[in-house]
Amino acid sequence: MLDAEARVRGAVRYAVDLELPDMLIAKVLRSSIPHGRIIRLDASEAETTPGVAAVLTAADFDQPGGPSLMYGANIPDQPVVARDRVNYVGEPVAVVAAQDNASAETALAAVRVEYEEETAVYDPLEASAKGAPALHADHPDNRFVHGKLRQGDVQAGFDAADELIEETFTSPLAQQASLEPHTAVAQWTDGMLNVWTGAQAPYTVRGVLAEIFGIPPEGVRIIVPNLGGGYGGKGHVRIEPLVAAVAWKATGRPVRLTLSRAEEFVTVTKHAAVITIKTGVKRDGTLTARQVTLYWGAGAYADASPGLIRASVPRSVGPYRIPAVRVDAYGIYTNLPPAAAYRGAMSSQCTWAYESHTDTIARRLGMDPLEFRRQNMLRSGEQYCTGETMHDVHFVECLEAAVEGLGWKEPLDRGAGPVRHGRGMAVMLKSSIARSKSECRLVLDTDGILTVYTSTVEMGQGAHTALAQIAAEAVALPLAHVRVVGPDTAITPYDATTSASRSTNMMGTAVLDAAGRLKDRLRQIAAPILEVEAEALSVERGEIFDDSEPESRMSYGEALERSGLDSIEVTGMHATQGGLDPETGQGVATPHWHQGAGACEVEVDIETGKVRVLRFHAASFAGRVVNPSLARLQNDGNVIFGMGPALLEEMVFDQGQLLNPNLSDYMLPSLSDAPEEMGSRLLESSAGEFHGIGEMTLPPVAPAIANAVFDAVGVRIRELPITAERVLRALKGGEGG
Amino acid sequence: MTVDFLRPTSIPEVIEALTGAGDEGKLIAGGTALALMLRHRLIVPSILISLDRVEGLSGIWSSAHEIRIGAMTRLREVEISAEVRSAFPALAAACGEVGNMRVRNQGTLGGNLAEADYASDPPTILLALGALLRAVSTAGERLIPVADFFQGFYTTALAQDEILAEVIIPRGSATTRMAYTKYRSRSSEDRPCAAVAAVANLNDGICTDLHLAVGAACEVPRRLAEVEALAEARALTEKLIHEIADGYAEAIETLEDLRGSSWYRTEMIRVFVRRALVEVRSGRR
Repeated sequence: MLDAEARVRGAVRYAVDLELPDMLIAKVLRSSIPHGRIIRLDASEAETTPGVAAVLTAADFDQPGGPSLMYGANIPDQPVVARDRVNYVGEPVAVVAAQDNASAETALAAVRVEYEEETAVYDPLEASAKGAPALHADHPDNRFVHGKLRQGDVQAGFDAADELIEETFTSPLAQQASLEPHTAVAQWTDGMLNVWTGAQAPYTVRGVLAEIFGIPPEGVRIIVPNLGGGYGGKGHVRIEPLVAAVAWKATGRPVRLTLSRAEEFVTVTKHAAVITIKTGVKRDGTLTARQVTLYWGAGAYADASPGLIRASVPRSVGPYRIPAVRVDAYGIYTNLPPAAAYRGAMSSQCTWAYESHTDTIARRLGMDPLEFRRQNMLRSGEQYCTGETMHDVHFVECLEAAVEGLGWKEPLDRGAGPVRHGRGMAVMLKSSIARSKSECRLVLDTDGILTVYTSTVEMGQGAHTALAQIAAEAVALPLAHVRVVGPDTAITPYDATTSASRSTNMMGTAVLDAAGRLKDRLRQIAAPILEVEAEALSVERGEIFDDSEPESRMSYGEALERSGLDSIEVTGMHATQGGLDPETGQGVATPHWHQGAGACEVEVDIETGKVRVLRFHAASFAGRVVNPSLARLQNDGNVIFGMGPALLEEMVFDQGQLLNPNLSDYMLPSLSDAPEEMGSRLLESSAGEFHGIGEMTLPPVAPAIANAVFDAVGVRIRELPITAERVLRALKGGEGG
Repeated sequence: MTVDFLRPTSIPEVIEALTGAGDEGKLIAGGTALALMLRHRLIVPSILISLDRVEGLSGIWSSAHEIRIGAMTRLREVEISAEVRSAFPALAAACGEVGNMRVRNQGTLGGNLAEADYASDPPTILLALGALLRAVSTAGERLIPVADFFQGFYTTALAQDEILAEVIIPRGSATTRMAYTKYRSRSSEDRPCAAVAAVANLNDGICTDLHLAVGAACEVPRRLAEVEALAEARALTEKLIHEIADGYAEAIETLEDLRGSSWYRTEMIRVFVRRALVEVRSGRR
């Protein structure tokens, strides 16, 4: 990474380090009940607490000239702070801005709230059942989105099958658990809103805030410093409305809100999922039809879920040749914190289901899981269930690279005594965002320094390093001559979001576009000086020259100077135009398919049920690798990250109250849980397109482990995480259940 | 709200401060657990009495019959002490299992015991070793057997004005064998789901004086004298080991948390009592 040394030395400034003169500290009063009415909310005592500058409640909204209370990406169902109802434990009810922590806490304690509790519902299946309490009056069945895919005649496919196999898989709520908690600072200056925030989608934040405050988008400036991790949890808009609104009340003074770890858990989560998958298959291994039904527990507000749940539809089927497919994906409100993207978004839950299921089918047919997959995996030129033709797909190669690293064909020592060994594999496909846009600006100055202005967020993944490398190569300058200026909506041009592993692909391609224009401009300004046609000029290694006349050449800086220019500025853009029909799921799901695979060896202690991953080999399709060491770290990081939801991570609730809102009780993998042997392969293709790699080897982790557990001890775990207790119960045939 | 922070330099001063503070006072040793409790507002004392300047509370003293460890001795010091490693290797091992290096460098043995966290390592092995805890109060000194010290979740036999000064561990014989097994059901940095400490004399394969303690799976570490007695003057056969394991699994009322249900913990007691006894039998000290 460009700033690796600064990172190691602790010199990099993160959002959480922001300090502004005269800054106030914000604290949030949160609902203590999962569902009910607010029958009294009195902040008068809090307002007079010494040191308090502002107390924000719903009463401050929807006044002439004031902010609007309700917002939402697709469905404006979420209040900035609760007005008359609360829908989950932890929902913001009031916000205090004070001169220090202690005054803010004293003021919070002085806000009087009385609730009248109502029946709550937490499970997505129960919430969508008849008679369940409704969270929002306009969605009486708690279903706010229904994603569909219809391809072929599924019933005929099932009729033609020799075997019908149906299984249900579950995946619980989890938390993105970035090292750095959400932090935002807001300040109003002359009617203009400035926000410094740890956000993955600065332009989305800008748009939502502009709408809430009824000002033009240009009236909002969003600046994003380095993030200490995002993993989807900082996507869309999170705490910015809270801090911007309390800053609006605090007139002029900057206000900072930094969440505690406990608040992180009630601010954003991974979707809970219940996925039923039914497949028809012939005895020779040919798949005839598949039906997938997904219930996504989205928490109390729709947030970014409608788009994510629609995107889950093509992600739920798997990279296989299946002539008839039906998918129904429901987004369900529950009395839990809102859910959003979580690294490997929706694909992790989907791959957990279809890749565990793939092994079940192979075992039922008595086929080797690798051979069965090989027989059915999609190749380039074949049609996916969305109706689009797959191009540049390498599922077979990815899976083969992973199993080759593991040594699938080598004999396996199955262990002795209580410790048994097994191996498993999984492959996945993931769509990126079908329709989105990235823009950038390149500025070259007379010192030969190139500055890349980009709204791509650097959150530890190395995006700025990769963009600098792409720019350096494309403009033919040394990497040391390239600077990257990160998101500031007053300076850096539009980008949709830093998520869905799209930055290297989308922003990288925008940089290539800009670099092409920059070289054209250099040719144009150099042509009259060198007295050569612009088209005849080469731009390489920092110089502009005519191939036929080696003497006539000049540096970029010289070309600028002799043309009387201080700098050259060009813009670049890359946009994709896809989309699926909402009724049939037919169309273009993604500009390109993300592809990854994993294979592992585990040991299972049959007396305790504990699973240890001994070796994990991962492979992803990278198209064209920009930075081999960062790319490899993405694969390795995915595997260790993925072991969390596979084996450990689960938010556990009792009547809507979270029982493990800290990193002692909510378990993340530690480095000593990492497999002793980790392999990473990055497949490239001659086509040379940049592919996203930030998530591709994550979704295979959980099903590969579950398949290895089955191989080791013959039990099929269908609930995540694969805890020792779940495995032991399964081994004992449900004893003690 | 402000908190008074007192730093007495002698045990009598500590007791005086404790007496004066009444229910508002809390002792702070290494602070690794207390700081978390303060932060989460599980306790809200108005007077904190630090033990960091008290003379004579830290150190490891060895004699022919016992080893004494001062209450303010860091867990890391116990873990690496040559005296402890030689006399009670399982105690050194258990102290080496607490938290992580940062915690062990700061946390103290006395603080660990006085916190009475059910998911802690030292209490279980100290129970099996038959340790005595020297406590001092206005009323004078007394020795509390570890078996009587832990009274419930985060509750000890210490009186409000009493301070734990020292841990006294009687030495075993040349034929004493011991083991401490800790089972983590989740990540390798998690707190235990169950822990078992076993201490026994093994003479030509014949077991006497088996002390077997189970912790982390129940409210307080437990020994079962009647089950231990099954091993008296007998060889530790597979059959006997299973009997003892079943005896513990069936008699101990297990707790339930995110590290395992009550049923699971009962099963883990069965597994790890067996594994600890197999380790003891194998002859490792």
